[in-house]
Amino acid sequence: MPLLDIRNLSVSIPTPDGDVHAVRAVSLEIERGEIHGVIGESGCGKTMTGMAVLGLVPKGARIAADRFHFDGEDLSDHAGRLRGRRIGLISQDPAAALNPVLSIARQMDDVIRAHRSLPRKARRAEAAALLAATGLPDPEKVLKSYPHQLSGGMQQRVVIAQALATGADFLIADEPTTALDVSVGAQVLDLLRRLVAERGLTVLMITHDMDVIAEACDRATVLYAGRSVETGPVAGVLKQPGHPYTRALLAALPDAAPPGARLAAIDGSIPAPRSVITGCAFAARCPQAMPLCSAEPPPERRRDAHRWLCHLPEDAA
Amino acid sequence: MSSDPILDVDTLVIRYRAGLFAARPKPAVNGASFRLEKGETLGIVGESGSGKTSLLRAILRLLPVESGSIRLGGQDWLALKGEALRQHRQRIGVVSQNPFLSLSPRLTIEDILAEPMLAAGARPGSAMRDRIAGLLSDCGLPADFLGRRARELSGGQAQRVAIARALALEPGLLILDEPTSALDVSVQAQILNLLSDLKESRSLSILFVTHNLKVVAHISDTLLVMRRGDVIEFGRTEDVIHAPAQAYTRELLSFGRK
Repeated sequence: MPLLDIRNLSVSIPTPDGDVHAVRAVSLEIERGEIHGVIGESGCGKTMTGMAVLGLVPKGARIAADRFHFDGEDLSDHAGRLRGRRIGLISQDPAAALNPVLSIARQMDDVIRAHRSLPRKARRAEAAALLAATGLPDPEKVLKSYPHQLSGGMQQRVVIAQALATGADFLIADEPTTALDVSVGAQVLDLLRRLVAERGLTVLMITHDMDVIAEACDRATVLYAGRSVETGPVAGVLKQPGHPYTRALLAALPDAAPPGARLAAIDGSIPAPRSVITGCAFAARCPQAMPLCSAEPPPERRRDAHRWLCHLPEDAA
Repeated sequence: MSSDPILDVDTLVIRYRAGLFAARPKPAVNGASFRLEKGETLGIVGESGSGKTSLLRAILRLLPVESGSIRLGGQDWLALKGEALRQHRQRIGVVSQNPFLSLSPRLTIEDILAEPMLAAGARPGSAMRDRIAGLLSDCGLPADFLGRRARELSGGQAQRVAIARALALEPGLLILDEPTSALDVSVQAQILNLLSDLKESRSLSILFVTHNLKVVAHISDTLLVMRRGDVIEFGRTEDVIHAPAQAYTRELLSFGRK
C-alpha cells in the first residue's frame, strides 16, 4: 500500500467571479522510501496539492477526492493532526521559514519541545545531533547563530533539521533548491537522498526544474492545469515521455536544442483556472491534437509502471 | 570583425570599502579581463557572491572601480562624466530579472516605452507612437497591449515589454541580468528565441548574466565563468563546454545529467 495514496484530488476556491480550480484531478501514489517528484509550471497546482496534504488550503477551499489517504488515514479528516507529527514541510525560501530574531538554538528547541518531553540538556544535545545529521560541520556554532549569519545552504539544512526534529517520516519539499546556487542546491539534494536512505524518509519533491527531478527523484508525476497527466519512474518520464506536454516541456529546455538553434517553445498558454475543461487540458496547445482530444477526457496509457493520459495510442509516444 | 570590440574590459578590480580605517577586504571583482565582439553574445555565469553583479554595475557605471579599464566601442568608458556619460549611456540597454519590479505599475505599456524616448529628447507625436508600436511588434506583443498596465501581463509578456524598453533608444549593447530566471521553462524558451531574433535583426551585442550555465551555453558565443571574484574560465562557448578547465565548471555542467 502506498504511504501517500491520492486519487482524483480536486481543490476549488470559491471567489466572487466563480470557482478557481487550483487542483482539478491529481492522483499520486508515493511509496515508502522514495523521493517522488511533482513537476509542472506555474499555476499547474503542484504547491496547492502539497498544501492539501498538509491541511493548509486557503479558508473556504473545497477539497474532494476519490481517495485521500496517508498511511491508511483519511487526510480529509486528519491532515491537521498529521502535519508536524508525520508530515513535515521544507519550503522554498529558508530565510523566510526561520525567525530572524531568534537564535537557531531557540528555534530548534521550540520544535523539539513541542514534540518530545526531554530535559533541557538532552534537547540541546538532540538539536546538535540533528544539525550534525544534516551535514552542518560545526553544530554548536550554528546553534549560537542567528539566521542572517548563515548562508542559504546552511539555513536550508537547519530547516531540514527542524523537519527531522518533529519526527516526521514524510517530507514535502517545495522547491527546496530554487533559492540556492546550483552547486549548493546539489548538496541539499544529496543530503535529502542520504536522509531517505539512512532514516527511511519519504519525500514529495515539488519542483519546476527537470534537472532536480533527474538528480534526486526515483519517480515523478507531471502536472498540467491541475491534473496529473503522467507518472512513472524518472528514467521513463524524462527519457521516453508519453504525454505530449511532457515532451514539449523537455524540448523547451535550452540543452535540448543544438547551441544557437531555436528552442521549441510551447505555443499558447495554460487554461484559465476558472475555466471548465471537458477533454484533455493540453489539447489547445498540443501539436498532435485530434478533434477527439478537446471533446472527451483522455484514457490511460501505460508502459509497465509508466502511465499517462492521452488519446494517442501508446506507440505514438 | 575588423573593428574594435564593443566591450573591452581589462584587469578590472572592484573593491567595496567597509570604512575609512577598516582592513582592505578581498576585491569583489579581482582583475577581470574579457572582450565582447560586435554582434556576439557573451554569457557570464557565477553563483551568488561571485562578483557578476558588481561587474555589471561597473559596466553600467553605477559603481566606481579601483583599477583597470573598460572600453565601450573603442572609447574609454570610465573617463566619461556628466552630460557626456548620460548621452553615451544610451548605447547600453538593460533588462533585469523581475519585470514586475522594473516596470512601473502605474504607467501603461505605451508610457513605459515612451519614457526613454522622452528622456532622450524625442517629441511625443505620431512618429513616436509608430516607433513604440514597432518595438512592441518586434518583441512579439500585439498592438492592443499599448493601453495595458504591467500587472495585467504574464511574466513572459512583462519581460518582453522590459526588453522592448531596453531597445527603445536602439542601443548597440544589451545587458540582461538573469532575464529568464523567474520564468517557466516554456516561457524561457520563447524569450531566448526572441533574443536571438533581435540579435540578428538589430545586430545587437548581448551580455547575458545568469547562474544557469545551460541557458548561456545555448545562446552565447563566448562564455565567462566567475567564482569568488575571479574569472576562472573565459573562451568560446563550445570550447568551455567541451573542455572545461575548472572542476567547478564541470560540476555546473553535469547537474541533472544523471
